[in-house]
Amino acid sequence: MELGAPVLEARDLVFEREVDGRVVRVLDHVSLAIRPGDIIELRGESGAGKTTLLRALARLLPGVCGELVLDGRPDREVDPRLWRTRVTLLPQRAALLPGSVEENLGFPFTLAVRKHTDPPSAEKFRAGMDALGLDDVALSRDVTQLSVGQAARVALLRVLLARPAVLLLDEPDASLDDASAARLGEATARFAAEGGALVRVSHLRADATATRSLRLAAGQLMEVSNAG
Amino acid sequence: MPADGVIAIGWFELVLAAGFIVATGALSLALRLGLVKDLAIGSVRTYLQLLALGVVLRWVFEVRLWYAVVAILVFMTVVATRIILKRVPHAPKGLFGSSLLAMAVTGFTVTFAVTGIVIRVPAWYEPRYVIPIAGMVLGNSMTGIALSLERLFSDLDAHSEEVLGTLALGASPWEAARGAVRSSLRAGLIPTINSMAAAGIVFIPGMMSGQVLAGADPLEAAKYQVVVMLMVSAATAVGSIIAVTLAYRRRFSADGAYLEQGFRAHAS
Repeated sequence: MELGAPVLEARDLVFEREVDGRVVRVLDHVSLAIRPGDIIELRGESGAGKTTLLRALARLLPGVCGELVLDGRPDREVDPRLWRTRVTLLPQRAALLPGSVEENLGFPFTLAVRKHTDPPSAEKFRAGMDALGLDDVALSRDVTQLSVGQAARVALLRVLLARPAVLLLDEPDASLDDASAARLGEATARFAAEGGALVRVSHLRADATATRSLRLAAGQLMEVSNAG
Repeated sequence: MPADGVIAIGWFELVLAAGFIVATGALSLALRLGLVKDLAIGSVRTYLQLLALGVVLRWVFEVRLWYAVVAILVFMTVVATRIILKRVPHAPKGLFGSSLLAMAVTGFTVTFAVTGIVIRVPAWYEPRYVIPIAGMVLGNSMTGIALSLERLFSDLDAHSEEVLGTLALGASPWEAARGAVRSSLRAGLIPTINSMAAAGIVFIPGMMSGQVLAGADPLEAAKYQVVVMLMVSAATAVGSIIAVTLAYRRRFSADGAYLEQGFRAHAS
């Protein structure tokens, strides 16, 4: 694959946190360049700082040092809300808001930062649901009536429909069975094929579609293999 | 009964009133409830604080100095703000200023609106009217603001995953905190709304009771109570809204990220 200009770059990220009375450097000069079409698999032991790194990239990690560059512009020049519409994190335990599935899918478009963006049509919602194996779930269903795995896929669809440039997924398949996880893999691969970039923390399954695999250990980020 | 309708209580009767508390203390000892110390301290404080208040008010009513009235109002506001902060255990730093502002703006505005526009006291600082009304306004706003702030920060923490997920979609701190803001204001106003609903049926409000005991016509006392109750409710609502809207942002970083427990040291 030809290397294009990175959409998102992290340079020398350092983050320290106090754990049991001593200071632990969770990110120790971590640098990373993410290009359109990348599907980056982020691995590492539990507690290695994978979630921390994703939060840093979404500018949702208070106290992190280093530089982030989006589309060639340093983070201090980009409004944080605008940043997060371009670099969107899906937290591991993504909480849906009270209301129906449809209200949740449309929620990102009710935010002030997207006031000039039209929300996708109900048909688009429906097609997205079907593609993720949620064809038996009505858009009008209340989110309290969803199973854990269904709610996780609705949350994924919500970020996909918001069309970020970089999608940060924190163990998106943790609560999914193999068939649903495969659907999720297809949807994210489609997102990357359309020019999106993806960083995905996975614990359970190796990602066959990944173009790069990185490992975070002792605060350092290492390339494991390069399938691209 | 004296001509003005008030039956004075003598010093002996005042001491006698403690008899019931002593009996309660004995009961507590017998049942090992561990309440004796608190009861004793509470009783002594009641005696000292209220008698001191009586002495101070007697003096202020006599001298009728505007700056003495203002000084008392400021003192009441500062003490109330300190009590608010004590009742909000996980509050972020720097809440004193915004809470004081919320208390002062609503307390002063509503008090002088009642005395100046509704009651039309001859002098704007008329201590006999201004101080008791300010006391009711500040006391109720204090409870409302403390309840709202306490609920705001506990609600944000309880829903921190939802807040994070919402911010990640591009929400501003206000958009992410809106649910918590709404429920905190509701929590702060419930006591006020309850007392408006129950007033006159379940209980006679304190001010009206006092006026009736002092020999006032019950209908006249009722009119006063309506005015004060509505004004106090408005003060509680506006005070809570100001306090909460000034406070929620302190739980977010400059970049608009939510400060969960582990992150609070970095930003403060």
